[in-house]
Amino acid sequence: MVKHEDVRAEAKKLLESGKVKYIIAYELGADGWKANPVFIKKPEDVDKIIWGPTCFHNLIRFVVDEKRRKVQQKNPDTRPVGVMVKGCDSRAIVILLQEKFIERKDVHIIGVSCEKTGVIDERKLANKLKGRKAKNVEFGPDENFVVTTEEGTVDLPASEIMADRCLECIAHVPVITDVLFGEKTKRTVPHPFGSVEKIETLSSEDRWKFWSEQLEKCVRCYACRSVCPMCYCDECVADTITFAVSPDTTAEEKAQKIKWLDKSPVISENIFYHMVRAIHLAGRCIDCGECERACPVNIPLRMLNKKLEKEAKLLFGYDVGFDSEKPALISCFRDEDPEDFIR
Amino acid sequence: MTEEFEPKIVAFLCKWCSSAGSDLAGVSRMEYPANVIPIQVMCSGSVSPLYIFEAFNRGADGVLVSGCHPGDCHYIKGNMYARRKLLLVKKLLEHVGLEPQRFRMSWVSAAEGQKYTQVIKELVKELKPLGPQTKLRRERNG
Amino acid sequence: MDKILAKKDFPRWLEALGAYDVYAPQLIDDVWNYELATDRKAVSLDYPQTAIPAKKIVFPQREFFFEFREADTDDYKLKELLPEGKPTVIFGVRACEGKAVTLTDLVFGGEIADDYYWKRRNAAVLVGLACASPPSTNCFCLSVNGSPHSKEGLDVLMTDLGDQYYVEILTDKGKKLVSEGGAIFHEAKPPDKKAAEKIHADSEKKLARELKNIKDVPAKLKGMFASPFWDDESMSCIRCGICTYLCPTCHCFDINDEVESQTPLAGRRVRTWDTCQFPDFTMHSSGHNPRPDKAARLRQRINHKFQYFVEVWQNYQCTGCGRCITLCPVGIDIIKVVEKVRDHAN
Repeated sequence: MVKHEDVRAEAKKLLESGKVKYIIAYELGADGWKANPVFIKKPEDVDKIIWGPTCFHNLIRFVVDEKRRKVQQKNPDTRPVGVMVKGCDSRAIVILLQEKFIERKDVHIIGVSCEKTGVIDERKLANKLKGRKAKNVEFGPDENFVVTTEEGTVDLPASEIMADRCLECIAHVPVITDVLFGEKTKRTVPHPFGSVEKIETLSSEDRWKFWSEQLEKCVRCYACRSVCPMCYCDECVADTITFAVSPDTTAEEKAQKIKWLDKSPVISENIFYHMVRAIHLAGRCIDCGECERACPVNIPLRMLNKKLEKEAKLLFGYDVGFDSEKPALISCFRDEDPEDFIR
Repeated sequence: MTEEFEPKIVAFLCKWCSSAGSDLAGVSRMEYPANVIPIQVMCSGSVSPLYIFEAFNRGADGVLVSGCHPGDCHYIKGNMYARRKLLLVKKLLEHVGLEPQRFRMSWVSAAEGQKYTQVIKELVKELKPLGPQTKLRRERNG
Repeated sequence: MDKILAKKDFPRWLEALGAYDVYAPQLIDDVWNYELATDRKAVSLDYPQTAIPAKKIVFPQREFFFEFREADTDDYKLKELLPEGKPTVIFGVRACEGKAVTLTDLVFGGEIADDYYWKRRNAAVLVGLACASPPSTNCFCLSVNGSPHSKEGLDVLMTDLGDQYYVEILTDKGKKLVSEGGAIFHEAKPPDKKAAEKIHADSEKKLARELKNIKDVPAKLKGMFASPFWDDESMSCIRCGICTYLCPTCHCFDINDEVESQTPLAGRRVRTWDTCQFPDFTMHSSGHNPRPDKAARLRQRINHKFQYFVEVWQNYQCTGCGRCITLCPVGIDIIKVVEKVRDHAN
């Protein structure tokens, strides 16, 4: 089991020695049971740091923010930032390194192993508790969670309340770290693409029905894009301003900018946005599942990204987010890539 | 009399091979269906998935991307990148429920005017029974 | 005069409302939302809180202003697309959302009224449901001049008494709506009134969260515009639109021309929700962005709700529904932020 004290001691050491600028970690939120991201700047604040099954967030998102801030500073502090990462999150670092968005010296990686489980799914838990409010959730000794409500403590198996992403996780131990907490447990995932395979068995028409119903709910709050550490483009086709405007940009250039999709939250535009996002994440999505968790209307967005992860694996033998020296999925090819779809 | 449905096809043709191939078909007066709106691109590798989504969004019933045969690319390997990228696009389109026939890729060289007409004929034949593509198409007011 | 409606008669009332579009909370994929009730028999008001507030019915995320078409000459043919204003009832509206609508009324009303908004607003009947217990763990309506059984903005207020509803008619629209039900409504008796009053009084004690002593916050905010406070508070913000799109009082919008045909040029002018949390919200055509970062955008959200709106309308533009807290992917908590502003040294 990962002990809070160990992580805190490490954080304290890092901050006291001045080795890191600050540490991106998890703290207990105002509701008293869920974790929130926190930025620890002073050694005396390290006791805020927690680790548990509500540490959903992929904190690499804030490493991206840090990089953005740094490029705007005249004399930036070049020390690394410390960041707590789960297995999935560590793969996001691999991608950022692979794409040379950050350098290895920019981050001090404090890895935590998810050991036997992972994070919970809040909606699954709420359904399970049927109106009772959770007060605390902790890792159980086995593949289970210990949930405390006002009516006492219940033991719930991981298979029932764990997030889908964790049920299909292929990297529960961080793949790149400076320091690792927790055990390198062995785990086999019999069906890493089980959920997406369920959708694949549907007929074309049923799949369309499924996706059109799901994406009709989209309100285009862009939480999926905003929460994603891989969505770091400065310009996005989904924004009304899709290119960087500078004082030199002429009126004509502005007038001629392409409006790829409308702001109206209708099926055609919603699906356009989500397909663009999915294809842009092909070979980059490391399945941290944050898009799906953040979605206020519960669209199964993972099922778009997971599909392409599966195809990358099946068609091109490509594993995402394990090797930062490898070229990106679509900036390489093999002579034997399938071409039976080409005439 | 009900008019037969004529699918609208947007074809992204690489300047060096497929577009020249379509020109050859034209100057050789080969007959093929007039359902295609050709768009010349510098290389099949330069076709962004965005173009394909946008074509469907604006009402294309089918989209074709055509480039040089492997090994013939003017930019050495643009078509090889295209092959990989566009297969992913195809898989994604099918995943959301678009009929597989609607998106197609082909290799057509500058000398293959005949093949070009063949590709278009086949595509039109396969698209006709599907009827108009309405799934990804932007809603229109009349 | 207040009425009593047996729960078993509730579906009959809905069926009597044939002339109305009926919206009610429905559970889709584990998320509650106000949806058009196609099966009126299945409507139940046993629900906590919707993700998207009822504002989406009077102020939809997308609406048309007019359509345009290039004519033969250099002219354009324009056709206004005013909503038809079909009578609409929204059931299960929480007190905070009813109140929120009165705040959007202020914005879209006044000297220059927004016809598009008012067409829908005037046609909508809001049937409230008093909160016996807080629908969300982040409810704090009492702290922002509201209450779990507030009547503001509502036409009818229903209170769940177990196997019947206590029905208070608050406006003429509400009166008409209840009269459609005819004989299924009975006169309420004094014990019923007492029971409802007890539920109302008890509900006020059940709120888990509060935001105390915020009288000086508007003035405080004024002095904090340039404070580094906002940089710290917004560190974890990811700049999505959840807090504002799903806020019952946020009402900012964008207007775009959606072109449907180039020759002849034709299309529609469309209004869609927009949010101060998106970077392009304040982007000038020069390329200058006066709210360049997320600190400025968080400040805008808080200032608008707790300073600007108070200055203009003498009321907080927050009704304490807690949605922005519950649904924020990174747990930014408006209560905490405002408390910190309150306690901030000058």
